[in-house]
Amino acid sequence: MEKEERSIYRHISGKKLIAFAIIPFVVLTAMILFLFSPIGQSFLNSGVPMPEVTIEKIEFQEGRIVAFIRNTGPVDITVAQADINDRIQLAAIEPSRSLPRLTEAQVIIPFPWNPAEPYEVGITTSDGARFSKNVEAAAQVLTPNVEQVLLFAIIGAYVGIIPIMIGLLWYPFIRRLNTNKYNFFLSLTAGLLVFLGIDAVLESNEIISENVAAIFNGQVLIVMVVIVSFLVLLYASETLTQRAAKKSVSANYSTSSLSSSSASTTSQQQQELIKPLAISLMIAIGIGLHNFGEGLAISAAVLLGKAALGTFLIVGFTLHNTTEGLAIVAPIAKSGQVMIRKLIVMGFIAGAPTIAGAWIGGFLYSPLAAVIFLSVGAGAIFQVVYSIVSWISHTSSRNRKSLINASTIAGFAIGMLIMYTTGLLI
Amino acid sequence: MAILTTGFVLSSFNQSSVKAQDHSKKGIVGEHTPGYNLLETVGDVLDPISFNSAEKAIIDPMHYLREFNYGRVSTLSDGVVLREFTLIASDNKVKEISPGIFYNVWTFNGTIPGPTLRATEGDLIRINFINNGSKFHSIHTHGIHKAEMDGVFEGIAPGGKFTYEFIAQPFGVFPYHCHMQPLEEHISHGLYGVYIVDPKTPRPLADEMVMVMNGYDTDFDTENNFYTVNGIPYYYMEHPIQIEQDRLVRVYLVNMLEFDPINNFHLHANMYQLYRSGTNLVPDEYTDMVTMSQGERGILEFKYKFPGQYMFHAHKTEFAEKGWMGLFFVKDSKAPQSNFDDVNDNNTTSSIVYSQNRSKFNLEEVSK
Repeated sequence: MEKEERSIYRHISGKKLIAFAIIPFVVLTAMILFLFSPIGQSFLNSGVPMPEVTIEKIEFQEGRIVAFIRNTGPVDITVAQADINDRIQLAAIEPSRSLPRLTEAQVIIPFPWNPAEPYEVGITTSDGARFSKNVEAAAQVLTPNVEQVLLFAIIGAYVGIIPIMIGLLWYPFIRRLNTNKYNFFLSLTAGLLVFLGIDAVLESNEIISENVAAIFNGQVLIVMVVIVSFLVLLYASETLTQRAAKKSVSANYSTSSLSSSSASTTSQQQQELIKPLAISLMIAIGIGLHNFGEGLAISAAVLLGKAALGTFLIVGFTLHNTTEGLAIVAPIAKSGQVMIRKLIVMGFIAGAPTIAGAWIGGFLYSPLAAVIFLSVGAGAIFQVVYSIVSWISHTSSRNRKSLINASTIAGFAIGMLIMYTTGLLI
Repeated sequence: MAILTTGFVLSSFNQSSVKAQDHSKKGIVGEHTPGYNLLETVGDVLDPISFNSAEKAIIDPMHYLREFNYGRVSTLSDGVVLREFTLIASDNKVKEISPGIFYNVWTFNGTIPGPTLRATEGDLIRINFINNGSKFHSIHTHGIHKAEMDGVFEGIAPGGKFTYEFIAQPFGVFPYHCHMQPLEEHISHGLYGVYIVDPKTPRPLADEMVMVMNGYDTDFDTENNFYTVNGIPYYYMEHPIQIEQDRLVRVYLVNMLEFDPINNFHLHANMYQLYRSGTNLVPDEYTDMVTMSQGERGILEFKYKFPGQYMFHAHKTEFAEKGWMGLFFVKDSKAPQSNFDDVNDNNTTSSIVYSQNRSKFNLEEVSK
């Protein structure tokens, strides 16, 4: 059978091969053109297409409110009127009142708004349908100046970098632990991270459902980004460890004439050293992406003028992030040499994105970008959890122990509990 | 009502002398509105007051204001005056009810509100009703009449006809409306109008006008998106009603608002005599504020002592800020005569109620 088929295909000439490649496209094009033709349309016109407008963002500027809207429905629309708190207002729309599918516009409404008061902005289309969005508390949109940039940088450092550095100080303490206790801390880290990963996914989902139109398939986007970033980071970390291991092996070859068996032991030893370092780095990156989201949240709260909430967020994240330092430290704690400089670098990798998040959240917030960052963070975190678990199982099997034991389970559970408890402060 | 007067409405009013009403060209927003920022835009202006073109508008409120239809008049052998009217229901048209907003209107004779029918107490009213719509419709007139003329149990099928006949009694001001189920739907889509019965001894001569308070629920959430007097939000803000100093003004006011339990009429810088339901010749109240429930109505009489511009609006400010506001422009009687036509002196307009070209705007004429 297979041979016959193969012989048939062998007879196909180059030209025919190209034709076979092109025909699907031609047929598809014809089908699509037919569906859009008057005949095709007459077949399909059974329902009434409902217009849909999504208000993606509302900005409070000096003496005016600006709504960023997008036509997210199946038909072209014309915007007819605008309102504030369901009271009709004179307004301008740029670039134009007619919005073809998926295009966007800014509706600029002169309005003497009051800070910290809630507002609802409504957009009415030519068929009388009204679309609205609420803002909990009006706050002047920030324009980046030195003061603001510094303020957010200080908040970011306070929340991100300092607590993580404090957490890193547990390094010597964890080094001295026996395997059981060490595994407890590794599992604890996994627990912390799982909580953060779930939190990031839920947070993304919340942003998606409140700010991003259904047409972008937000939930699918989150899952997709989480999976893709998980896979990419998994691939990256595997290659990283392998390459590092190879390098050290070849280096050994050149310096000494060791037998192949001793070379493999050296490589294994190297791996014992490199793998935890890679895991720590991955944890730092994952936490960094997560902290980016924290930065967004803090500056959003500060922006909204919610001073109390902002303070609680800062206190909460500060406590919360100290445990993140612990997560970075745990994998490398047993790996022989003390790597203070590397630790500090990783602390920065994990903490500095908080500052970037605060800036972006404060100055150019985009819900879609925030969701993507958070989802990448979640994917990274899950990849790290995977690495930790395989690392624990690796060390346990060396000690002839099962992965599932009292210390790992307790660690995992307590890790999540710690996150939940410190999360309550936020 | 400081809130209202600081609204954007002033900006349009100050431009009311302009003839071309094309405000949605690139331009400036909030030009004359105190407390509001001036905004220049390269995009479009979303103006809730001015129509680009009047052709698709549901009604010409200025024309409607003082148009009284007395019917085709003839005298029967027993001396009774017969007034014949024709009302045609339709329910398939889409009209502009506010600038840029298109709504499936259900109408009597093509406008919201439908034509004002007027008779004298004791006249015989004959309404030839034609249902040109796709649903059952009827005419239910308030007043005293026989059960079979009540327009409730006998729905007229699409394409059907019916003749309502009754004696005009008592004198007063009444709504008429479709009474088919679902009633709220039939009324909120626009099937209503005003029916006035004059007392046998006419009321004193005055500048008379009709005002129907209504609303539109364009997104079908049982809440009105727009509120108006005489069918178009803010219309009389841009086109103030011209009246004369010291001359008696008589407003036949009817509340046809659906969904909201009350509506009201507040007159600025003046007081009016209120005749509830218009069924008495002695005023019930001297006030500047009347609140009416659905279907409630009355006659308001007032004179302006001083020339100038005066607002009138719902004192339920939500309604005002969604379109139910207007202006009287009181002309200085000592100033040289303007070319203002007194429409009231020959208020016998068309003898045939049904005229299709009623809803034409004539913006130039109005804004003179």
